[in-house]
Amino acid sequence: MEERRGPVRRAPAQVALTGRRVLGRLALVAAAWLAAGTGATLACEAPPGFTARERLITKDVVVMFRTVPATIEIGRHFSVEAIVCATPPTQGLRVDAQMPEHRHGMNYRPTVAPTGDGRYVAEGLLFHMPGRWQLVFDVERGGRTERLATDILLE
Amino acid sequence: MSGRVRRLTAVLVGAAWLAGATAGAQPGPGFEAAEIRRILQHGPWPPPASPDPSNRVAGDPRAAALGRRLFFEPRLSSGGAIACATCHAPERAWADGRPRGVGLAPLDRNTPSLLDAALHRWFAWDGRSDSLWSQGLKAILDPREMGASAEHVAAVVGADPALRCLYERVYGRGTGGDAEPVLVGVAKALAAFVETVRSGRTPFDEFRDALAGGDRGAAARYPPAARRGLRTFVGPGRCSVCHVGPHFTNGEFHDVGMPFVVAPGRVDGGRHEGIKRLRGDRFNLLGPYNDDVSGTAAIKTRHVEPRHVNFGQFKTPSLRNVALTAPYMHDGRLATVRDVVRHYSRLDMERIHTHGEQLLRPLRLSEAEIDDLVAFLETLTDPRATAGPPPAAALGFCAGR
Repeated sequence: MEERRGPVRRAPAQVALTGRRVLGRLALVAAAWLAAGTGATLACEAPPGFTARERLITKDVVVMFRTVPATIEIGRHFSVEAIVCATPPTQGLRVDAQMPEHRHGMNYRPTVAPTGDGRYVAEGLLFHMPGRWQLVFDVERGGRTERLATDILLE
Repeated sequence: MSGRVRRLTAVLVGAAWLAGATAGAQPGPGFEAAEIRRILQHGPWPPPASPDPSNRVAGDPRAAALGRRLFFEPRLSSGGAIACATCHAPERAWADGRPRGVGLAPLDRNTPSLLDAALHRWFAWDGRSDSLWSQGLKAILDPREMGASAEHVAAVVGADPALRCLYERVYGRGTGGDAEPVLVGVAKALAAFVETVRSGRTPFDEFRDALAGGDRGAAARYPPAARRGLRTFVGPGRCSVCHVGPHFTNGEFHDVGMPFVVAPGRVDGGRHEGIKRLRGDRFNLLGPYNDDVSGTAAIKTRHVEPRHVNFGQFKTPSLRNVALTAPYMHDGRLATVRDVVRHYSRLDMERIHTHGEQLLRPLRLSEAEIDDLVAFLETLTDPRATAGPPPAAALGFCAGR
């Protein structure tokens, strides 16, 4: 299995997001992204009612996700709902997180369940410290794993 | 308060303080906006009560009354000499003041205080229990603690008119038949009582709320040394990375460079051992006695796995009332709060690099800075924390038995 890391295109100006800032900016970011054209080869639209927190893009993979609850709090379990569009199609998804500066991950191993049509729900995540967390999506497809990641700054 | 509102409040409060300080009305606290945000995260206190969903009698005054009696009942132990209160003495801030606990036999770890215990996610230094009630149950059964059996506990409750009456009132059934459900019922009643053991407000809380409310007069009463120590705590000391939130703990596990050799040839595996014990525990939240039908309470248990890094990790303790709960660390090897601060000031990086968090580094504090940090930690003391157990509810039944 090959692991390929990035380059990952994030939605504009979303290198580091705080849980408390992102929702207020999300609509504008999404609108700007759509207006500018994504440049991705994939068409991948969120279904009605799915407000994505962020959209991660490589050449042939798009991951849209949101957290439940929308605001991540230190020491509170949360889940991640993700929509993955990929060519060839996704065979599986792993979700994890780590704190690169501290060189440790979460104390929990999330479980990921497919819910159909490229949608997944990851449960059991918990950020136990403030600081920069890297949320990681490992997309399995075509016999290899592609990693997409984004930063979440938790205060 | 939502995160966004908290952030906005912190910015406004910081701006107000800066404006006031510039005007020379009163000396401001000297905190920057980012520091104020971190300070405000340590409150408000107390948090609202939140009964454990895995315990169907949590929050029930009748269960708490039964648990209160059981907590001080030495007959629950094998031999009839050890009660929960023997090691968790209310007048000692619900701990025992010893380096390591002593039940029916000496133990390897320091006895944690039960103040605000219900707020924890995991229980015991190694998090071997995922609920307050299952932790109490383990203490009853542990041969080195109370050394009892389910049959013994059921017999004690069944033979005492007052205990039996309360038990029947709480659970709507007697103590006959299978003893294990009675043991679990006793443990859940004990937990219902321990949930009421909560600490009150401290000088820090008064300062924190004054800061949040822009009350400069009230904030000015906070001692300057504590203020300086608080700045170290949320700033360069990075203490608040783990000792975070109103409870001053993230509820998780860290290797902070403490030795884990218990005796020659015997080590304390800490969290690594705790997770293994948790997974093998038939009283954990994946077992038949979890009352939470939503499944939410067991999320943590379903998603925790032992990893090598867990070896030598121990739970981050709350710092509320820390000045009352000496000695310190998982094995009680540090006698005073000052010793603990010195430990973090002089961390053994060779040891830390082997197993510990990359977050940690020696703080290299001066003696004056150590004094300040200790002064701050002492302001986390509720003056009534050693006043004794909360008052018993007047139930109007089972009286005179």
